[in-house]
Amino acid sequence: MEKYLNISPLKILEKSNHKELGKGNLGVVISRAGVGKTSCLIHVALDRLFRKGKVIHVSLKDTPEKVISYYNFIYVDVFNYLDLENEQEAKDFLDKNKIILAYLKESFGIDKLSENLKNLAENISFTPDTVIIDGFDFEGSGRNIFEKFKEMANEFQVEIWFSALSHRHINKVNERGIPFPCSDLDDLFKLIIQLQPTQEGLFLKLLKDNNIKISPDFIVKLNPDNFFAVE
Amino acid sequence: MVSDTKYLRNIGISAHIDSGKTTLTERILFYTKRIFAVHEVRGKDGIGAKMDSMELEKERGITISSAATYCQWKEHNINIIDTPGHVDFTIEVERALRVLDGSILVLCAVGGVQSQSITVDRQMNRNHIPRMAFINKCDRAGSDPYRVVDQLRKRLNHNAILMQTPIGLEGNFSGVIDLISMKAFYFEEPFGEDIKIESIPPSLVNEAMEKREELLDAAAMFSDELTEAILEDRVTEDLIHEAIRKGTIARELTPVFIGSAYKNIGVQPLLDGIIHYMPSPIDVENTAFDIDQEEKIISLTSESNAPLVALAFKLEISPYGQLTYLRIYQGSIEKGDTIMNTRNKNKIKVGRLAKMHADEMEEISKASAGDIVALFGVDCFSGDTFTDGSLNYALKSMVIPEPVISLKISTKDNKSNNNVAKALNRFVREDPTFTSRVDEESGQTIISGMGELHLEIYVERMKREFGAQVETGIPQVAYRETISGKAEFNYVHKKQTGGAGQYGKVAGFMEPLEEGHYEFINQIKGGVIPTEYVPAVDKGFQSCLKKGILIGFPVLGIKITVNDGQYHPVDSSEKAFSQAAIGAFKQAYFKAKPIILEPIMKISIECPSEFQGSVMSSINQRRGTIISSAEDGIFTAVEAEVPLAEMFGYATVLRSLTQGKAEFTMEFTKYLKVPKSLEDELIAKHKKV
Repeated sequence: MEKYLNISPLKILEKSNHKELGKGNLGVVISRAGVGKTSCLIHVALDRLFRKGKVIHVSLKDTPEKVISYYNFIYVDVFNYLDLENEQEAKDFLDKNKIILAYLKESFGIDKLSENLKNLAENISFTPDTVIIDGFDFEGSGRNIFEKFKEMANEFQVEIWFSALSHRHINKVNERGIPFPCSDLDDLFKLIIQLQPTQEGLFLKLLKDNNIKISPDFIVKLNPDNFFAVE
Repeated sequence: MVSDTKYLRNIGISAHIDSGKTTLTERILFYTKRIFAVHEVRGKDGIGAKMDSMELEKERGITISSAATYCQWKEHNINIIDTPGHVDFTIEVERALRVLDGSILVLCAVGGVQSQSITVDRQMNRNHIPRMAFINKCDRAGSDPYRVVDQLRKRLNHNAILMQTPIGLEGNFSGVIDLISMKAFYFEEPFGEDIKIESIPPSLVNEAMEKREELLDAAAMFSDELTEAILEDRVTEDLIHEAIRKGTIARELTPVFIGSAYKNIGVQPLLDGIIHYMPSPIDVENTAFDIDQEEKIISLTSESNAPLVALAFKLEISPYGQLTYLRIYQGSIEKGDTIMNTRNKNKIKVGRLAKMHADEMEEISKASAGDIVALFGVDCFSGDTFTDGSLNYALKSMVIPEPVISLKISTKDNKSNNNVAKALNRFVREDPTFTSRVDEESGQTIISGMGELHLEIYVERMKREFGAQVETGIPQVAYRETISGKAEFNYVHKKQTGGAGQYGKVAGFMEPLEEGHYEFINQIKGGVIPTEYVPAVDKGFQSCLKKGILIGFPVLGIKITVNDGQYHPVDSSEKAFSQAAIGAFKQAYFKAKPIILEPIMKISIECPSEFQGSVMSSINQRRGTIISSAEDGIFTAVEAEVPLAEMFGYATVLRSLTQGKAEFTMEFTKYLKVPKSLEDELIAKHKKV
């Protein structure tokens, strides 16, 4: 299953300093609506799962059924690529190491997530390596919230990946090149990646790698159909 | 009978067991003059309440079957379905809700919102049923209707609003203050038929004023006219009723009534509430699927001259023969009409048509859209749709939970055997969550249902109603065998014992089949096995699949390729080749590394969020995999995959883990290899047998 890493969008981190986000850190994928943040985050999850890690996928907008259907959709292409003998076995392996937590009707809170992470560890010995948080409202949340997420990442020794929604009409970019809505929070994130649709195709661009200077070639082209990294 | 549909109400009465809903129904029937004396569920007079028509229900003091009845109140026709309160009978509640336009949630003023209230309320939500609440038993020690209203708001997310305040509580409970008319209602002894309307006692005026303000504030959200009237101080009763009705039908408001059915207090105002706030069939949009148009969704009209569309929602055996309860959604039915069951296109002539009053009946000649009626001697299943034949519609199927438990049953004598067969035939038609089958291997009858009590009740009914002597076994899991590797076979079946001999040789290999149960590939070349014998080879292999060699359970996921063989011009026969295939199977099976598969169930558990941890832990202890968990503020829905073998008794465990506040459903999802320790155990057990 290591073959997956050849097409993982997180190949972009091969060019980064630490090759991964790492425990206790926050990372974010920024893009405009409809570009594919969720698909991208699912590949972040798969990257971890194929490295034999455990993942919690937190959805704040979609029901678990919908998230599962996204995963199943991506599984089809991934399994085809991997040309697996026993797809069911692979799916069972991935499912066993991943839990979806959905917080619907604005029921999400950091304390609640924290309590659930404790619950999972205590009751079913499930300790994730990566937590994906999809659909979190960056614009409506203050800096202190992300500081709490950072504390949580440290406490539970997990890496937390977010998706953040940017807007075509808000061009705010800070002096370090980080766009809205992360422009005032970038010091809290170790990795910031932007999903950028262009005329030449869909690209994943590394905007921040800890405090290392970013080279312009820190970019990976993605197949827009399945978000596989294209050589 | 009132014929105008807008004066019709189809109402369910649902609640936790022992909250007094059967007594409430009894009183409703008494005040609407459908009965002329009142009895109790556990009646000292030995008669029992009218709605509990089954002997067992009377004995246990619980309602098992939902009996339908109707009554009239102030020019309105009200159909009532009394629904059971035990979690093992939720299908009855689901079926009742499917055909109802509104429901009364009966709550105990002492116990408040209990686990079953939560379950039932969730079912109502799922079926988009507008609700009213009746806080019963205000005469009991410890009663506190205000606390119950608070629970309705906090635990069930209802915008609950009191329509009345109590006059006294517990032993002093003597009447209610109506917050719309601002009058005190006292219910005269002995049976509360006469209502004395007086001014509000001075000591209760302030409280009543305060609660009326709350009521007006809540109602005004649904009526600009009422808002203006409040500002201009010209509020009328009609304006308040109208606003509350609007909020209730939109399921954004829950009017709450209080009383004590047992003490005959507060039932008539509740009846007034039903006609004021519950929707009539024309206030509810109903749809059906047009089978001829790829199940396109069609809106139904509640006009009685439109073509008939009706749903058989309950079958019941009564002293009058088999009854089919029908909810008419569109059109009408008259005695002598011919109607069509759209499932099997069978045409049925409507003989007797009746309105049921628990176990008594009233024959009628015609029923129209919105009505709930009973037909006699109609051969159909619960959930079938009937039309006049001009439409090929199916009404939305009801949510039917999958059975979760199976039991072997055996009988002591032949007579019992026949009686059990009759009983099972009846039960499976009455209750879609109850199934029965005969195990091919053991020849024993296996019944399946929603829980231990569910099956226990049916076993009891077999004994009592059908006089069958029945014994039950222990639950059984349906394991399967398969192979995990490829293995070759080359087998000769040869027999020479005088007369014609038997000869057949088959060669080839078996390998795992990823999708499907069995595949036979014929790669025989040069006629080494004559074509006429090939089906016998296939048949021989198939016969081995019924009972695997490893633990005696059916084999699936196997592909067999035959590529060589030999025949004898005289001694070969179909039988010989079939035997050769059986021998070949046995020769290769163990070399193909057989494994045992177990059924994996997809479990959905809904529980208040505070129990999420213990629910997940219980799944983990059962070799389960948590797939997801979704919170909506109050409840958490946990989805998991768990081996069926670990699920027996889980309903009881879950109830005790969550104080009965969780419910779960499960359905088969896939077969998976059993762990090594279980495999060894099962093999050892099989060898012992």
